[in-house]
Amino acid sequence: MEHYDVIVIGAGHAGIEAANICEKYGLKTALITKNQSDLGKLSCNPSIGGVGKTHIASEVDILGGVICKIGDKSAIHYRVLNLSKGPAVWGVRAQIDRDLYAKNMQKYIKSSKIELIEDEAINILQKNNKIIGVDCINAGKIKSKVVILTTGTFLNGKIYFGNDVKEAGRIGNSSSKELAKFINKNFKTMRLKTGTPPRIYTQSIDYDILDPQPSENNGIFLSYFTKQNTNKNINCYITKTNNKTHKIIRDNLDKSAMYSGIIKSQGVRYCPSIEDKLTKFGDRNGHNIFLEPEGLNSDLVYPNGISNSLDKKIQLKFLRSIKGLEKCEVDQFGYAVEYDSVDPRELKNNFETKKIENFFLAGQINGTTGYEEAAGQGIYAGIHAVVKLKKAKLDNKIFERDNSYIGVLVDDLTKLGVTEPYRMFTSRAENRLKLRTDNSYERFATNISTKIFNKTDYNLINKNIANEKKIIKKLESLKYSPNDLMKKKIKVKKDGKIRNGFEVLKFLDPTTNNFKDFFNIAINQKLLTKIYFDSKYEVFYERERKSFDQLNKNKNMNLTNIDFNKIPSLSREILEKLNKYKPVNLHDAGKISGITPSALFQIIKHKRIKGTKVA
Amino acid sequence: MFNTGTIYSNFTPLVKSPVIGYRISGEDVLLILKKLTKRNFFKDHSIMKLVELHNIDGTILDKCNVVYFKSPNSFTGEDVCEIFIHGSPLIASQLEQLFKDFNIPGLRLAQKGEFSFRSVLNNKYSLKQAKAINLIINNESFSSLEYNKKILFEGDSVSGLAPLREDIVNLFSEITASIDFVDDEEFNFKKIMKKARGFFNCCNKLLHKNRTKIEQKNICRVMLIGPVNVGKSTLFNKIIDKDRAIVTEIKGTTRDILSNQIIVDGKKFEIFDTAGQRSKQGRIEKFGYKKAQKLSKEIDHFFILKDKKTKNRDLNQLYKDFDINKNFTIIETKSDKFSYKSKNIKINHNLNREDLFKRINLSRIYKKYIAHKNHILEFNLSEIEFLEKILEYERDILNEKDILIIAQLMRNILDDFSYEFGYINNEDVYDRVFSNFCIGK
Repeated sequence: MEHYDVIVIGAGHAGIEAANICEKYGLKTALITKNQSDLGKLSCNPSIGGVGKTHIASEVDILGGVICKIGDKSAIHYRVLNLSKGPAVWGVRAQIDRDLYAKNMQKYIKSSKIELIEDEAINILQKNNKIIGVDCINAGKIKSKVVILTTGTFLNGKIYFGNDVKEAGRIGNSSSKELAKFINKNFKTMRLKTGTPPRIYTQSIDYDILDPQPSENNGIFLSYFTKQNTNKNINCYITKTNNKTHKIIRDNLDKSAMYSGIIKSQGVRYCPSIEDKLTKFGDRNGHNIFLEPEGLNSDLVYPNGISNSLDKKIQLKFLRSIKGLEKCEVDQFGYAVEYDSVDPRELKNNFETKKIENFFLAGQINGTTGYEEAAGQGIYAGIHAVVKLKKAKLDNKIFERDNSYIGVLVDDLTKLGVTEPYRMFTSRAENRLKLRTDNSYERFATNISTKIFNKTDYNLINKNIANEKKIIKKLESLKYSPNDLMKKKIKVKKDGKIRNGFEVLKFLDPTTNNFKDFFNIAINQKLLTKIYFDSKYEVFYERERKSFDQLNKNKNMNLTNIDFNKIPSLSREILEKLNKYKPVNLHDAGKISGITPSALFQIIKHKRIKGTKVA
Repeated sequence: MFNTGTIYSNFTPLVKSPVIGYRISGEDVLLILKKLTKRNFFKDHSIMKLVELHNIDGTILDKCNVVYFKSPNSFTGEDVCEIFIHGSPLIASQLEQLFKDFNIPGLRLAQKGEFSFRSVLNNKYSLKQAKAINLIINNESFSSLEYNKKILFEGDSVSGLAPLREDIVNLFSEITASIDFVDDEEFNFKKIMKKARGFFNCCNKLLHKNRTKIEQKNICRVMLIGPVNVGKSTLFNKIIDKDRAIVTEIKGTTRDILSNQIIVDGKKFEIFDTAGQRSKQGRIEKFGYKKAQKLSKEIDHFFILKDKKTKNRDLNQLYKDFDINKNFTIIETKSDKFSYKSKNIKINHNLNREDLFKRINLSRIYKKYIAHKNHILEFNLSEIEFLEKILEYERDILNEKDILIIAQLMRNILDDFSYEFGYINNEDVYDRVFSNFCIGK
C-alpha cells in the first residue's frame, strides 16, 4: 500500500494550491480527483481577480502558488479596477480562456511530482482521532499522514433548474454523497447556495449593436512574475436587462427554484441572482450584463450578471428579450447549486479540524465562494500541513490579519464562522492601506525561499528588493529645504526643516508630478509608485501598529469572572462567546473564535472609560 | 480596574441625619443578610422589612428597615440589599466594622462608580444611560436634566446623536461600496464628498446649536429694588420661604445683596434682595447699593416695590440707578394701607405664600426671559464632547483626495460611534451596502 505524507482530495483551486505547495516543500503528495480532465476547471465565471480577490491571489502567488501564473498564461483580456484610486485597492482582473487554463494547469501538475489519482474518495480513515488515510472506490485504502479535503460544492450537491432538481456537484459531475456522510457525522455543517448563469453561443449574439469593453494593457498582471501576456486579447461586451425582461422574470418567479421555496439555504448577497436583483431593486430600468468570452476557440459566452434558477423555457424567453441576445441560443442553462459546507469554526487556526488531527479542510467546503478565496485557503492549509509534518518553520506573523488578506480570511472564518458564502472585500481588512498587491513580497519576506521558487523567480524578487533599497537610499540622500520645494511648487510648512527625498515623496501628486523629472534620477516608475505610497501611508501604518501594540500591552488585562457577555458596546455574537469561554485575560479573549481585534479594543476602551467617567 | 466580589457603600452622606443608607451588591448578599439579621431573606425580596441587626456577639446593632432585591431584579442586576440604619455616623462605622469582621472573602467597600459599572455590565443600563445617571445627579440645568432623564427612561434612540449614527453608517457604506464594488454601480467621488461635507455640517450645526443652549443660563434672575423700608426683605423672605433677610422697621437694614435660588413649577429662579434707595445712605449701605446697580445688568426682571410713602422722585431715581428697560413690575406693598386704585400688583403682610405667587406670577416672567430660549436639548455634555471629537476629523477628511485615506479616517469615526452606541462591525456595514446598492453580477 502506498504511503503518502499528504493526500489532497479535490483538484479545484484549493486542492491544486495545497498539493502544489506540499510538493514544493518536498512532501510525498497525492491529488485525488474523480476525473483528471476536470483538473483546473473553472466551474463558474471565466475570470480571475478583481478588487479583494486579486489581493488574495497575489498573496498566493508570492507564497509559491500557481493561480496567478497559470491565470496570466491563459488570460485573454485584462482590466484594472479602481485604477483611479490608490494602489491598495487596485484590482486587476483577467478574463481566462477556460480550455487554456485547464490545459496549462494539467500540464503543470503532471510535470510536478504530485501523484494524480483518478478515483473517488468515499471515506476518511482515522485512528484515535488522527488521520491514517483515505478510502477510495477503486484504489481502496491509501495511507497518508495528512489529508486535505477540498471538495468545493460537491458534498451532497444538488443543482436546480426551476423545479427540476438533480444531484450533482456541478453540471456533468456527480456529487460526493459518501464523503458527505462522513463529514456530516463528524462536523457541524450547513447548507449553502450559489448560482451560475446560462452559457450562450457566441455566434447567436449580435455584437454589432452592443458596447464593446476592450482589454486594457497596463502592464499589470495577476502574477508578480509575469512579464508579458502573449495571448491574443479579445473584447467583452456589455448589454442590459430591460422592462420586458423584468416582466418575464417577475411573472415566472414561481418557476424559480429559489423563489418557489424549494431552496431554503442561504444565498450570497453580493452575488445575487437576477431574481434577487429584481425583487430588491425592482425600480431600476436595467441591470448590466457583461458578455464574457469563455475562450479564444470557445463558441460560448458567459453572461455575467444573470445567474438564475428559473425554468429553462423561461430562461430562454427572458434572454431573448435582451438587446443583442434576441436570437441567442443557449448551450447550458443557468442553475442554482446547493451544497453542504462545514462550519469553519470547526477548524483550528491552521485549518486543521479540531476534532481529527492532521485533517485539513480548505476552499468552498469552509463556507467561502470564489476561486481566489479557495486558492488562498488551499495554500494556507498546505503550508500548515508542511509545518505540521516539520518540513518547514513558519513565521506566524505573516498570517496575522494585519499582515495579509489570507490572515483576514482565516481569522474571519475560524473566529466568526459564516452565514452566507464568504467573499473577500478589501474593507474586511482593518489594515487595508498596507495590504497591497505591490508589496506582498515584503509582507511575506520571511517565507520566500528557494524551496518554493525556481531560480529565475527567486532572483527576480531579490533583484527587485535590492533595487528598491538602492532607490530609497538614493532618495534619502537628496535634501530639500522648504525653499527648494517652493520653487518646485510643492506646498510644505515653512519650518526651515530639510527633508530628504523619501520624505518629500508624499507631498507629490502622482497624477501631476512626474517623479523621474522631479528627482532627476532614473527610477523605474512602477517601483517609485510603490515607494510613494509607502511614504504616504506610513503614518497610517504607524497608527495601526500602535493599536496592535496597545493590544499587546494589555494582553494580561485580567478578565476573570467579569460577565463580558453583557458589555453593551459589543455585538451579541461576541458577547455570547465571551460569556461561553470566560477568558482569563485579554490575550485569551483574542484567541476565542469570533473575537475580532476591534472587539478587544472596545473592551479596553470600555473598561478604561468606565473606570473614570461613570458614577 | 474594577474587580469582582461583593461590594458595599453608603449611599447617603455619613452625617448626623434621620437615616443613613447602605447598599450591598454581589453574590454574598444573602449570606451577609443572614449573618446580620439571623433570618433568611431568600423569599422576601423587594419588600421592606423592619429587622434587628445583630453584632457578632449577638447584641443588637440597630433596629431598622432592610430591603433585599433578588438578582436580576435590582439596580446592578446582582443580588442587592439596602439597609436604612438610624442616621448616626457611629452606627454606620459599627456596621462597616461588622462587614469587615464577617471575614467574607471578596466583601469590600465599593469603588467610586462601581455600582453603576455593574449595572452596565449586567445590561440593566446602556453605557449611555449610565452616563445619563451621572449627569442627572450632577445636573445644574433643568433642560439637560430632562434630556438625560429621557435617555435614562427611553433608551439610546432618543439621543440627538442617533441620526448621526445612521448617517455615518450610510456614508461609510457608500465609501466601502465605491471601493469594493466599483464594477457594480456608478459611484461619484464628488457626490460622496458632498455627503461627507453634509455630515460634518450637520455635526457642526448640532454642536453649535446645542453648545449655546447648554451655555445659556436657564435661571431667571429677579431683583427686588425700591426705596428703603418698603418691604423688600419681607417679600424676599416670603418668596424664598426662609427667614434669611433681617427685617426691621429701621430704614437701611439691608445693606448688602442677598440672593437665594428657588424652584417654582420646576423653573429655577435666583432672587436678589438689595439695599433700599434713599438719599442718606451709610457707607456700607452705599457700597451695597452700588453693587446692586452693577449687578442689575445681569438681571432679567425687577420687582420695583413702593408703598404709600414712595414718591415719584424716588422711583425716577431708581430708573436712573438701575439698568432697567421695561423689564419690571411695580409691586405696591403694605397695600392694606393703600386706598386708590391702580393696575400694580398689590401685596400685604397677610397674604399667604400661595396667593403671593399667584399675584407675582413668576412663571410668566420666566417664560418671558428664559423659556423661549430653552427648547429641550438634543445632547448632553458628554455627547457634545463626542461631537467635538468627531469634528477633529473634518479637515483631514474634507481636504483628502485619496478615498482610501478617507475610508481609513471614516473607520476611526465609526469606531468612536461604536464606543458611544455599541459595536458597529463590518457585517453591519455590509448589510447597509447590500440593501442600498445593487451589488454583484
